[in-house]
Amino acid sequence: MTQQTWDEVGGLLPHDEFRAASEAIVANIEQVIEGKTATVRLALAVLLAEGHLLIEDVPGVGKTKLAKALARSIDCTVRRIQFTPDLLPSDVTGVSVYNQETHDFEFRPGAVFANLVVGDEINRASPKTQSALLECMEERQVTVDGVTYQLQTPFMVIATQNPIEMEGTYPLPEAQRDRFTARIAMGYPDSNAELAMLDGHGGTDPLNELRAVSDADIVRQLIATVRQVHVADAVKQYAIDLVTATREAPDLRLGASPRATLQLLRTARAVAALEGRDYVLPDDLQALAVPVLAHRIIPTADAQLARRTTDAIVSELVHRLPLPHDRQRNPYDTRPATGNGRAPYEPRRP
Amino acid sequence: MIASRNTGAVAAAATLLAAAPLSAIFQTWTWLIQCVIAVAVVAGVAALTRLVRAPLWGQVLGMLAALLLALTWLFPSGSELLTFLPTPATIGHFADLLTGSAQDMRSYGVEVPDTDPLLFITALGVGGVAVLVDVLAVGLRRPALAGLPMLAIYSVPVAVYVDSVPPLPFVVGAAGFLWLLVTDNVDRVRRFGRRFTGDGRDVDVWEASPLASAGRRLAVVGVVVAVALPLAVPGMTGGLLDRLSGGTGNGSGTGRGAGGSSGRIDLFASLAGQLNQSEVADLVKVTTSEPNPFYLRYAVADELRPSGFQARSPSGRPANRDLPDPTERGGQGVQQVRYRATVEVTKSLSMSLMPVYAEPVRTEDLNSNWLYDPSQQVVFSNRENSRGRKYAFDYVRSTYTPAALRAARPLPADHPVRRQLTATPGPVPEVEELVKGLTQGKRTDYDRVLAIYQHFSADNGFSYRLSTASGSSGQDIVNFLINKVGYCQQYAAAMAWLVRSAGIPARVAFGFTNGSKRDGDTYTLTNLNLHAWTEVYFDGVGWVPFDATPAYGVPGSTRSAWAPDTDAPEPSTPETGATDSPTGPDSSAGPAGPDNADRDTDTGLSLGGEKPAEQAPVWPWWTAGVLALLALLAVPALRRLALRRRRAGRPDATVATAVGDDARSADGGHVMVVEADAGRARADAHAAWAELLDTMVDFKVRVDQTETPRATADRLVRDALADDTAAVGAARLLGRAEERARYARNPLTGEPLPPALRTIRGALATRADRRTRFVATVLPPSVLLRWRLALADASGRLVALTGRIRYRLLRWNPRRMLADRAAR
Repeated sequence: MTQQTWDEVGGLLPHDEFRAASEAIVANIEQVIEGKTATVRLALAVLLAEGHLLIEDVPGVGKTKLAKALARSIDCTVRRIQFTPDLLPSDVTGVSVYNQETHDFEFRPGAVFANLVVGDEINRASPKTQSALLECMEERQVTVDGVTYQLQTPFMVIATQNPIEMEGTYPLPEAQRDRFTARIAMGYPDSNAELAMLDGHGGTDPLNELRAVSDADIVRQLIATVRQVHVADAVKQYAIDLVTATREAPDLRLGASPRATLQLLRTARAVAALEGRDYVLPDDLQALAVPVLAHRIIPTADAQLARRTTDAIVSELVHRLPLPHDRQRNPYDTRPATGNGRAPYEPRRP
Repeated sequence: MIASRNTGAVAAAATLLAAAPLSAIFQTWTWLIQCVIAVAVVAGVAALTRLVRAPLWGQVLGMLAALLLALTWLFPSGSELLTFLPTPATIGHFADLLTGSAQDMRSYGVEVPDTDPLLFITALGVGGVAVLVDVLAVGLRRPALAGLPMLAIYSVPVAVYVDSVPPLPFVVGAAGFLWLLVTDNVDRVRRFGRRFTGDGRDVDVWEASPLASAGRRLAVVGVVVAVALPLAVPGMTGGLLDRLSGGTGNGSGTGRGAGGSSGRIDLFASLAGQLNQSEVADLVKVTTSEPNPFYLRYAVADELRPSGFQARSPSGRPANRDLPDPTERGGQGVQQVRYRATVEVTKSLSMSLMPVYAEPVRTEDLNSNWLYDPSQQVVFSNRENSRGRKYAFDYVRSTYTPAALRAARPLPADHPVRRQLTATPGPVPEVEELVKGLTQGKRTDYDRVLAIYQHFSADNGFSYRLSTASGSSGQDIVNFLINKVGYCQQYAAAMAWLVRSAGIPARVAFGFTNGSKRDGDTYTLTNLNLHAWTEVYFDGVGWVPFDATPAYGVPGSTRSAWAPDTDAPEPSTPETGATDSPTGPDSSAGPAGPDNADRDTDTGLSLGGEKPAEQAPVWPWWTAGVLALLALLAVPALRRLALRRRRAGRPDATVATAVGDDARSADGGHVMVVEADAGRARADAHAAWAELLDTMVDFKVRVDQTETPRATADRLVRDALADDTAAVGAARLLGRAEERARYARNPLTGEPLPPALRTIRGALATRADRRTRFVATVLPPSVLLRWRLALADASGRLVALTGRIRYRLLRWNPRRMLADRAAR
C-alpha cells in the first residue's frame, strides 16, 4: 500500500469548480443536518485541512449523524468504530493472524484502514485503546508487529464524545486531544430547523437516501487547492501571537502546541477557500481560535474554580490580542517595528 | 543603646551643620572651633549620662553643666578653679560678655570680626541648641521637633542679614536636619526586626527600597525647591530675576540690593538694573536749603578687586550722636556752608543705607540703629531699612577753588589712606600707559586728576550710552577706554581707576543726581536719577567729587568749579565759579542744569532710551502674544490637514491603476499586476485606512487594536453609519481594500478610495453633534492622541534607559560589592 502524496494527485481546481464541489458537499450534508451550516462548513474545512474532527456535545443533537453524513457524501471508504470499554487496540489498528493455509502470519487491517473513520463515543474506550489512534492520526501510518503500514489518503478521523456523562468514560489523553484539529459542538437546532427535522425524519431516515456527491479524488484536488491559499506574513505572525498568548495566559496551565499553530493555519486556509478567497484573513483565525485551540489547553485550578471554560478563555484572548502590523499601517502604534505585538494601551471592550 | 548613642552623635553633628549659616556673619572661622568644642562636650556628656541610664532630667542637667564648663574654659575670666570650674567671678564675666555682645551687635555690621562677646553668645546659643536637639531627638524621640531649635540658629543670619543669605549654608543645614531624620527612622525600622523581601530573602544592605528612594527624592526636591524658589521670586532676596533681566521690577528689589552694607551686593549691577528699567518710580523726595546742591549720595565703593569696585562693610557710631565736624578742615580756598535738608524715602526704596548730602553733621528722626561711617560718609544700619522713612539733617557743603586743591600736598606713600585707596589689582598696561601720558608734566595732584578728568571729554571721542555692557573690572575698563562709550558706571569707575593708578586715593560714590522734577527747593528723585561718580582724596581737604560722565546723558547733573564740564560750550567755562561755591556750580552748570538736562534728554539724543521705552505702545505685544497663542492652537489642526493632504495626495496613482485594471478585465484572465502598481495600490489602501482610523478617532468612534479591517468596517457600519447606504458601501470598500492590501496576494485596484473617505467623513460629521465636529476640526483628537502616545512612549523609553543605567551604576556600589564579598 503506497501513500499517494497530495502533490501527485492534487490537480488544482479552478475557483468555480472548487466552489461547486465544496458547495455540493455542504448542501448534501445539510439535507440531514438542518440549520447548522456553520458547523457543517467547519467540519468540511477540517477535512480539507487534512485534520481530524472531534464533535463534542450532549446526546441526541446529531453528532453521529453529522459524521455519517459527511462520510456518505464522499464516495470513499468509510469505517465506523463504536468505542466501548472492552475495545482493544488491535481492533482499531488491525492484527496479525496465523494463516494455516500459508503457514504464515497475515496482517488483517483494523478499522482505521479507511478514508474516513468515524469513532463513536470515543471517550468510552480505555486510554489503552484510545492510544492506538495516536500514531495513525498524526503520522497516517500503523505499525503492527514491527511492520509499518501506510494509511490511505484522504484520511480523517471523526470522533464524537459526550461531555456530560462522566460515568464509565475516560477523558481523552492530552496527546490524543492535541491530534484533533478542531473540536466542534453541534448545539441545539433552532425551532424552525427542529420543525423541519420533525417533518423530514418523520417517515424515513434521510441518511439512507444520501448519495455521494464527491469522491476521494475530488477531495484530494480540493485539498491541493486549499494548500495554495496565500497566507500573508502578518497573518502568520498573528497565528503565532495567538498561540503564544495561550502559552502566556495566566489562566492557563497548558497552552497550545506548535502543532496547534500549524493546524490553525491549515484550517484557516480551508475556511478561506470555502469562502471563495485565495488569501487568509485574521478574521478566519479569530473565528477558528475557539474550535481549534480550546480543546488543547488546560486551565489552571483557579480558573476552573472560577468556572471559566477554555472556550471563554480563548475568546477573551482573541478579543485582547492586537493585530500585528507595522508602524506604517497602524498610526496609533508608536513602538519600534520589532515590538512584541502588544498594544500601547489596553483596548476597551464593552 | 548603641542606636541611641548613634542618634546622639548625629544630633550633635546636625546641630553643627545647622549652624553653617553663621559663617555668613563672621569674618573668620573661630566661632566654628568654639562651637564644635561646646557641642562635642555636650554630646559626650549626653552619651555618658545615657550610659549610666540617667533619667531624662538628669541628662538635661548633665548637658547644661557640661555646656557651662565648656564656656568657662573657652571664655576664662582668669579667676576659675583649674581653668574650667566656674566661680562667681566667671558668672559676672559672662554677664559682662552678654552686655558687650548686645553692644557689639549694634555697632558692627556683617561680617563681624571675632570679638569675645560675639563668640561667647554664639557658642552659648549653639551649645544650648545642641542640648535641646539632643533632648528632642534622643530623649523624646521627636527628631522632627528638633528642627525648630535648628531653625532658630538659621534665623539669626536671616535676621541680621538684610540681604539674601547665601543658599549653600542653608543646604548644609537642611542636610543636617535630614540626616537626623534619616538616622532616627532607620533606627525605628531596625527595631521592627529584619527586613526581607517577599520571596523569603533578606534585604541586602545595598538594596534600594522604593520607600527609601522615594524619601530621598522628596528630600532632595524639598531642599532644591526651598533654595530655588526664593532665588527665582523677585523681591524675596537680592532679586535675582531683577538683576538677570535687567529690570522689570518696581525698584524695591534692587533698591535693597543697592544697600551695600553686606559688601556682597554689586552696587554697579543694581545701578545698571535701575537705569535700564522702563518703569519710573519715585524713590526719594529731598528738600534742601542749598540753592543748587551737589548729588545726594548713599554708598561708596572703595575696594578695588579684579572684578571691579566693590563696597566695604561700613562701620561707625550711631548717627544721632555727634558727628565729625568737617569745618575743622577748612582752609584757604575752601568754603564751607551749613545747610539743612529733609529727605523722604518712598516705599519703593528699601535699603539699609540712607541717602544724605555730604557731609552730615547732625541728624534728626534717626534712632540709634542708624550708624554713620565717617570715612565713607554714609549712614547705614544693620537692622533697619530706609523704606518709607522721613528724616532731616544738617550738613556742611564744602566747595573748593582749584588753587586750594593745587595747594594740597601729595600723601606720603606709606600713609594708610593712600596705601588702601590707591590699590589696584595688578597693573593693567593700557591704563598705566594712558595715565603716564596724561599726567606727564603735571606737578600737583589736582592737575593730574584734572588731566584724567578731562580725558573723558567728547573731544576725545567719549560718548554716553546706557546700553553698554556693565562691569568695572580691569578688562571692562580697558574696553571702555578703547570703545569710549558708556554711562556713569564706566565713567566713574574708569576715572577712579586711573586716578588710583596715578597714586592718588580715589573711590566711586553712588547716589542721585538732582533729577528733573524740581519744585522750589524740593527735588523728586527717581530710579532713573541714580548715578555714580568719582571722589578723590586730597590731603588736608578731604574727599572731592568729580563727575566725569557726560552731562548730556545725566538729567540733573551738576558741575563744580574744580571739575568744569569739559563738554560745555565756551561761554560757560567756569571762570566765575572759581570764586564762590554755591552759586558757582549754578552758573557754571548752565547748559547741564536741571532744565537743560531735561531738554537735552527730550530733544532726542536717544541715549537714555528710558522714556521712549516707557511710552512704547503695548498693543503690538498683546497682538503678537494672541497671534502666537492662536498659531500654537492651530498646530494640531494644521498637522491633521497636512496628514490628510499627504494621504490623499496621489490622484494619478488611482488613474494609473484604473487603467491597468481595465486592461486586465479586457484580457479576461489572470494578469500579472505590475509590481510597482501593486505596491502603489497597497500604499493607497494603507493611507486611506489610516485616514479612516484618524477620522474615526476624530469623531469619537472607537478604534480597536484587536479588530481586523473587516470587523472595524462592520462595526463602523453598525454603530455610526446605520442606514446611509453610500457611506456603508464606502466603509466596506475601505475595509476590503485594506484587507486585500494587507493579506492578499494582489491588492484591490481601481477603486475610488478618496471619495469613499470623503463620504464617510461627511456621514460621520452629519451624525456627530456640534461640539464633536468643532473638536474634530480645531483640535483633532487623532493628532493629540498620537502625540500623547509618542510622549508616553518616549518617557517610557527614558525610564527604561535610566533604569538600565542605574542598574549598571549600582553594580559599582561599594556597599553592594562588600555584600557580595561577604556572601562569597
